[in-house]
This record gives sequence, structure tokens and C-alpha cells, in this order.
Amino acid sequence: MSLSHVARAVTGAFRTMSLAAALAFAPQAMAAAAAPAPAAAAAPAPEAPVAATPAPAGSAAPADAAAAAPVDKGSYSPMKPVDGKGQPVAKGWTFQDQYSPNGQEALRMHDYILMPVITVITLFVLLLLLLVMVRFRRSANPVASKTSHNTTIEIIWTVVPVLILVFVAVPSIRLLAHQYAPAPKGALTVKATGYQWYWGYTYPDNGGFEVISNILPDAEAIKRGEQPQLAADNRMVVPAGEPIRLQTTGSDVIHAFAVPSLWFKLDAVPGRINEKVLFIKEPGVYYGQCSELCGARHGYMPIVVEALPRAKFEEWVKAQGGTVGAPATATAAAAPAKPTPAA
Amino acid sequence: MVTATKPSSNRNIRVGIIAAGGALAMLGLGYASVPLYRIFCQATGFNGTTQRSTAAQAAAVKATMRPITIRFDGNVVNGMPWQFHPEQVTQSGLIGERKMAFFIAKNISNRTITGRAVYNVTPEQTGAYFHKIQCFCFNDQTLKPGEEVRMPVLYYVDPDILTDPNAKDVSEITLSYTFLEAADSTQSTPKNK
Amino acid sequence: MASIPAHEGFDAHHDDAHDHDHKPAFFQRWFMSTNHKDIGTLYLIFAIIAGIIGGGVSGIMRAELAHPGIQYLGWWTHFLGGNDQDFNATLHLWNVLITAHGLIMVFFMVMPALIGGFGNWFVPLMIGAPDMAFPRMNNISFWLTVSGFCSLMISAFMPGGTGMGAGTGWTVYAPLSTSGSVGPAVDFAIFSLHLAGAGSILGAINFITTIFNMRAPGMTLHKMPLFVWSMLVTAFLLLLSLPVLAAAITMLLTDRNFGTTFFNPAGGGDPILYQHLFWFFGHPEVYIMILPGFGIISQIISTFSKKPVFGYLGMAYAMVAIGAVGFIVWAHHMYTTGLDVNTKMYFTAATMVIAVPTGIKIFSWIATMWGGSLEFKSPLVWAIGFIFLFTVGGVTGVVLANGGIDDNLQDTYYVVAHFHYVLSLGAVTSLFAGFYYWFPKMSGRMHSEFLSHLHFWVFFVGVNLIFFPMHFLGVQGMPRRYPDYAPAFEFWNTIATNGYMVMAASMVIFFVNIAYSLVAGPKAVGNYWGEGATTLEWTLSSPPPFHQFETLPVIEEAHAH
Repeated sequence: MSLSHVARAVTGAFRTMSLAAALAFAPQAMAAAAAPAPAAAAAPAPEAPVAATPAPAGSAAPADAAAAAPVDKGSYSPMKPVDGKGQPVAKGWTFQDQYSPNGQEALRMHDYILMPVITVITLFVLLLLLLVMVRFRRSANPVASKTSHNTTIEIIWTVVPVLILVFVAVPSIRLLAHQYAPAPKGALTVKATGYQWYWGYTYPDNGGFEVISNILPDAEAIKRGEQPQLAADNRMVVPAGEPIRLQTTGSDVIHAFAVPSLWFKLDAVPGRINEKVLFIKEPGVYYGQCSELCGARHGYMPIVVEALPRAKFEEWVKAQGGTVGAPATATAAAAPAKPTPAA
Repeated sequence: MVTATKPSSNRNIRVGIIAAGGALAMLGLGYASVPLYRIFCQATGFNGTTQRSTAAQAAAVKATMRPITIRFDGNVVNGMPWQFHPEQVTQSGLIGERKMAFFIAKNISNRTITGRAVYNVTPEQTGAYFHKIQCFCFNDQTLKPGEEVRMPVLYYVDPDILTDPNAKDVSEITLSYTFLEAADSTQSTPKNK
Repeated sequence: MASIPAHEGFDAHHDDAHDHDHKPAFFQRWFMSTNHKDIGTLYLIFAIIAGIIGGGVSGIMRAELAHPGIQYLGWWTHFLGGNDQDFNATLHLWNVLITAHGLIMVFFMVMPALIGGFGNWFVPLMIGAPDMAFPRMNNISFWLTVSGFCSLMISAFMPGGTGMGAGTGWTVYAPLSTSGSVGPAVDFAIFSLHLAGAGSILGAINFITTIFNMRAPGMTLHKMPLFVWSMLVTAFLLLLSLPVLAAAITMLLTDRNFGTTFFNPAGGGDPILYQHLFWFFGHPEVYIMILPGFGIISQIISTFSKKPVFGYLGMAYAMVAIGAVGFIVWAHHMYTTGLDVNTKMYFTAATMVIAVPTGIKIFSWIATMWGGSLEFKSPLVWAIGFIFLFTVGGVTGVVLANGGIDDNLQDTYYVVAHFHYVLSLGAVTSLFAGFYYWFPKMSGRMHSEFLSHLHFWVFFVGVNLIFFPMHFLGVQGMPRRYPDYAPAFEFWNTIATNGYMVMAASMVIFFVNIAYSLVAGPKAVGNYWGEGATTLEWTLSSPPPFHQFETLPVIEEAHAH
């Protein structure tokens, strides 16, 4: 299974989107600066608002990034998503396929421990109920017994659930330990900032540029072969196959950075930074949505993570005007990003 | 409500008052939780709360040979017309070693603004071991229009971190600041506590 | 006022001229009521009205979610006097709807019905007391709740930031509820919680005092019916958790209006602290809503099995255990806020512990029926439905308890499915079970058993159609509180909306049944359920006299639970 995934993903990674690239979207930073423009272009009724919010602070922030960014070499074009990978599927009723080791461990725990346990318990209760209803209906059992105590059985139904819970708790605690394993030395750091109502992705190790990510209008998303409501104009591009120290913070209210197919969810709280390790096993596009109520457009700030092979990722970084390697060098001019000049 | 002479209503009033007292106590606990939570976080490093030490305390700490990287992060809340970022992205050092890092803040508006920096470290469990000796976050910072300042942080990582099974494997600690506009920030005189 | 007899505890020698059924005039009886049965009736009527509004709100939500895209929100924004040209205002309305639905159902439907309604009606009857300990305070509780509801309704027509009304979610998280929502709407919503909370705290004091002090001679704590036990535990939960909420939302109010910074980082506050405080209240609140239901189900199962409750002490102390543990698991609502690993492990383990006493209750109910002579009257059918639905909701709770698993499910429809299975399908099912169990006792007229059964089956199908597919949406990753969604989520959403219509049809059956029984229902005798119904309310006429137990009943062994 993983082989075929890799195959599909690699094909996807190297495929160029000739049409889309020809549009104004190609240079990532430019697109960011022009965030409102594409929205205004399409705009069927529901999307009108996207145009109406000219990416409040974003409009100012990317201006910097755009200025700093050298001309795009056209080496990057957004990867086309693969059906059923990193996104929900129609009529789906299971977890999305997982593309991170922790996600796979969690999914295994859910599928092979939790689901059987809760299914058996529910069916057991249902069976007992049906049995009781048939065996002890009035016509079958006209005289009720007066039994109201049985110490043995009461001990059993206290102890057995405890044992089941211990059985569940052990892998659960182990899973938590794995999820909290600290990032190794030198892991790439990416910071996701939640704004009302869009995301900003900052790459402090690569010059500190910030990519502003707004929702795509439905029509534009469909044109690009993505699901409406899930697609964003600029993606959070990261390298695949290596641990990433993903940090989140909020700029105004609490948001939550969530990607179901990576088993990742972390609140973006204003005034503090949160951190978790993200490891994406293979290249691909992975979709998520803001998962903490953050105001009117809570439902309109999708998260799109695009994992690329390291070399492709570095090309993308350069296309953003970022730097690769020697992360500790001064970032001086780069970090400014957010504040709106005209308060 | 009820004539106080009846023994039963006396009993009711007694129980009622005790219950009301319980509710009041919980109400008090609700308010008390604000300072208690702060004290709890400061004492235990919960939520990535850093520790504060005097220079004398810091001097007593011996540096180890274990390297650790500190990453710096600066944020400004939406709508505050400041630029704020660390001068260095990361800084390598040894656990127990005193280091100094700088942040740069600039007021890009045409009014005087007082900012206050809030902060935490990640991973959260390292909060108990991250000590600041001197920090611009201890005071409010007031910047005149267009003014730019370079602000130091003097810190060290407590060697006790090596004895904590949850924290000893951390190779990089991120110290993050967010500047917010203090409530009375538009006053023109600098306010330094 | 003189015509209202004072209820003075055990004073059985009311030697004034009132006969048992002397009732005050209409206004005094219903607006200045001090009679626990009248106040209970008022609470039930109020809860039904609030339930219609809250259920109507969910109807608007389900209609909007039937298909992707924004279909009806603009119309509703316009209808409610908002600016439907502003898409933010339209989306804001969605947040107002989810907020209103949550607050109404929790504070103005389930709690008033279970605690104010059934609690007021049957706690005094079941313990052989003439009334509640503080009858006038009881009246204050009710009207505080009503004022709270009015305040919440007013908030919907006040500016609340991006649109009209409070769009903060029922959790009112800072800073969305402080700096994120300008305008008086959120203040009114918070104030409504203050009023309802104050009413509930007074009610809790009343129940605790009544249950401790006013039991009939011979009724020791260990002989109390389980419904009374459940109300006692609930009252303690209310008493200890609501003041914390009151403190938290008061701090929100001052943060909003008076420049304090309890939850504002700019002044050294922490928005996460608000979440800790809210859920310190919020988790016990969940048990506040379900424990009375446990009590009702215990009474019903015992009645229609014609057996005493199996493992009575275990049942009583399981509720005490659930209530106690409920205070130390709150942060499982906050797994993604950035808790450290030890905290998360602790809350994972502590949360799972709750499954044990809950399991004891489920198995004890089944054991009560085991060996019984089951008569499938409507309350029993509802009660068995409750046991099954609550089990389904309970086991998904075990899944969510795992911090590592919850990372993916937090704030998705899986959580929505889980808490609706325990509340909408658990607490509400127990409400209907209790309603059919006691309605003839309260009204003096029998309902239609046929319609009650029909109501159950239509309701059962409807709510499962609504909420079971939400598990699928949740594991597929659909976040909650979204007015619009990706096309992949459409299938299950459409089914859920269809389920809503089935459920709505069941409500029609319910109201037809009430109307029928009030107009043409046969007169109910004192103990219309027969030999299995052994608690004290069945020794009285239906409806009971305006003042009951003026001569206190003496509890012998036979009356024990």
C-alpha cells in the first residue's frame, strides 16, 4: 500500500500544472500579495466575502514578502492532490489514511484496540437487553424474582471494566509518549499563525519569510482540481520524510491548526506558542481546517500542507526569497511580516 | 420566610446556610484561581512558564558539557503597529551556561505606544528549567513613533533539566515572545516599573 | 399573601380552614407560586417552550447543512434584522445559532426539565415531604431562570461584533468572547448565564436542604429512591461547579467592560485559564444533565420489572463516584490547547476511570430487569432505549478519553455525535421516559400508550439517523461549528438532515399525545402502573392534592427503594 502511495505521490510531485502555472498564481509570493484579487475574480455568492475581506493584515504583510522575493523561477507549481489522499472522501466513514508514523500508530490503536472493544461492549449490552426483553417479558415470566443483590456479579462487573481500561490505557499512554517525543536536533521549524481568518506560515530557518494562506473561491478550487472549502491559494510547503518542529500561535483569537490525515491538531493561542513534531512520510497534499471557533469565518480558513522531497522543498524556499542552510544567520530584515503599517 | 421559632425551619436554615457557604467558597475559589494559577505555573513551569532568577542565583549554576540550542521567536498581535523579531534565530550554548540574546522592536506608527511582552517556552516541560536573569519582558516598553530598540534577554538553562525524564532529551528550546499593546499604551510618557 | 399557606416543614397541624385542595387565585398560584408541584409544572412548561426554540434553531442548522454552500443563512439574517449583504454578518448568524442551541438546550431545556421540573415535582413526593424546604426561594429560582432566558433572547438582537447576537459558542472562550466580540450581545448572553446559574444554585441549596432535612420518619439516606439520590448528587455538583462558572464569566464581563485583564495576556492574564475554569464547571455540568436521567431510569426499570433495583447501594454510590470523579477530569476538553505530556496522561487515565461506575449502572439496570416480569409500557420502552443509546454515547467517550486519539477528533463531528448520544439521546430520552412515567401523575389524565410507543420508535429512528452519521463525518475530519463544508461530507450530512425531519415528526406525535391526554385522556388513578410502582408518589391521588403529606407517611421496610 505504501509503495503505491509513494508512486502516486511522486508522480504528483513532478507533474506540472501548466495551465494553473500560467495564471497569476505561479509566483507564490506574488499570489500572496494579490490574495484578494483571485477571490474577486471568481466569486459566486458564498465566496463574495472572501473578496470582501481583503486579507486584512495579510494584504500588508505579503507586500514585504513580495518585495523581498526575487523573481520566481517557475520551479514550483502547486502539487495536484490525489483523490482520497490527505482529504476526505465522499461517503467516507473511516479515518482518513494516515501519512505520519504517529498517525499510523494512533489509527492502529483505534482500529485494532478501541473499535473492537467498544463494538463488543455495545453489542454485549444490546444482546443482554434483547435477552432480558425476551426471557423476562411478562407473558414469559409472570412472577418477578425479588433478587436485588449478588456480590459476585457486582465485583465482576466492576473488575472486568477496570481490566479492559488498563488494557486500553497502556497503548494510549505509549501513544502519548510518542506524540510528545521532542524534535531532534536540527529539525526544520515552521510556525503557523492563525489570523482572523487566514493562516500565515513562517519559516524562521529559511530567512523568516511568511506565506499568507487564504481560502480559494469554490470555482477556483474546482478549476485546480481541489475540493471546494479545502483549497487555499498558498500552501504550507514542507519537506517530506523528516521531522518538522511545527509551532502554532494565534494573532487575535484562538484558532487550531488541524490536519486529519496527519493526526495533527494543535491550538493556536494568542500570546503563547505551542509546539509539536510533524512527520510526513511521503510527498503529497494534506488538507485540514481551522478547528477552534474563531469568529465569523471560522469555516473559511483551510489548511493545506504540501510535502515535497527535500530538494523540491528547497527550490520552493528559494522561490519565496528564502534561504537554505545556515539557519542561524541573522534574519534581520526578514522577520517583519505581520504588523499593518497603517494602524 | 419562615418563622424562626420552628425547630424544623431552623434546621433548614442551618443546612441552607452551610450549602450557600459552600457555593460562596467555590465562587471565591473561582476568583482565587487567577493568582493561584499564576503561582502554580511559575512554581512548576506549567504551560511553558519560565523561571526568573537573580544574577546571584545564576552565578551559582555550573555549566555542563551538554549542548542545547535556544530558538527565539517574536510575535506582535494583530493590529499593533510594531515590528518585533529576534536578532538571532537560534543560539547554541551549553546547559547551565549564561547567554544573552537580543530582540529588536520598532514602532512603525506615528504615535507613542507602550507594549508588553508575554512569553512562554516550548516544549512545555522545559519551562521549569528555563531561567531568565534579565528580560525586557519584566517591564513595559514604550516606543516613540519610529523608534527602534535592541532589547536583551539574559538566560540560562538549569542543569536539573538533565534529571527530568520528560525534558532531558530536548535538544532545542524555543523562547517565544508576543508583544501586546498595554491597555494605557497611548500615553506619551514612558512607563517603566 | 395571607391566602398562601406557609409551608412549615413537618408541621402537620395546619389547623386553618384550608382544605387539601384549596388553591390560590390564578395570578398568585402561577406567578407567586410557592408550591413545589406548581413550580415543577412551570419549569416543565418553560422547558418545553425553550426546547421548541432550541430545537427550531437546530432545524435551521440542519437545513443549512443538508448540502454544501450557504443556502438559508442569508435569508435568516435578513429575517432577524441583520445585514444580509454582509457575508460576515451572515456567517456570524451561524455562530449565533450554534451558541443559542447549546445554551438553550443545556441551561433552559434539559436542566429546567430534569431538575426544576421532575426534581421539584417528585423529590418532595418521594421522600414524603409536604414541600421543598424553601418554597419562596424555589419561586425565585424559577423566575431567575426565565429572566436568564429572556436575556439570552435579547442578546440575539444586539450587535455582537461581526453581526447580531453572541457568536462565541456556548463555551464563550476568551479572547473571542472578549476582544473578539464587540457589542452588548455577549454581555447579555453572559448575564443570562449569571441569572440561570444563580437560579440553579438557589435550587441546589433548596434540594440539598430538602433531602437532608425533610425526609419522612424512617426514610434514611439509604432508603431513598434512586431518583432522589440522583438529585442529591446533582445538587452538590451544581452547588460546587456553578459558582466557578459564575466567577469565570464575571471575569469575562469585567475584561470586556471594565478593562481588567483576567484572561488578557496584555495584563498578565491567560486565555487558557478561562478554559480551565469553564471546564471545571463544564464537565460536572455534563453529569448534572445526565444524573437525574439515571435516577429516572432506575425508577422506571424497577417499576416495570416489578423488582427492587439491583445493587441499590452500588447504584447510589456509583452516582456519587461519577460526580466526584467528574471534578477531576476537566482538561480532557482541552487536549489540544498545548498541555504537557504528563498532564495529558493524567487526564486520559482519570477520564477512563469514569467508565467504571457508569458500567456499574448499565449492568445494574440490566440485572434489575433480569428475573423481572417486564411490562412494556411506554416508560420502560423509553428507558431501554436510553440504556442502549447511552451505551453507544458512553463507549465513544472512552475513545475520546484517549488524549492521543482525541488529537484527531477534538472539535470534529465525532465529538458532536458523542455528546448528542449522551445528552440528546441520553438525557432527552430519559426526559421522555420520565414524562410518560409521571405525566398522568402530574396531570391526572392518562396519555395514549400507542402514541407514546409510536413517539419512541419515530424518535429513535430519527435521532440515530441524525447523530450516527456524525461519527463518520468526525473520523473523516469534518470540524464542528462549520456552516459550510467540502463536498465529500455531503452524503452523511444529507442523511442527518433527513433524520432531523423524522425526529421533528416524532415531536408532533409527542404534542398530539399531550393534547389528547389533556382533552380526552382517561382519568388516572393513584397508582396507575400497578404493583411495581412502590415509591411514595404512588400512594397519592393523581394529581396529588395541592398539599400532600400533611400527616407524614412512616417508612417501613416495604417502602425501601
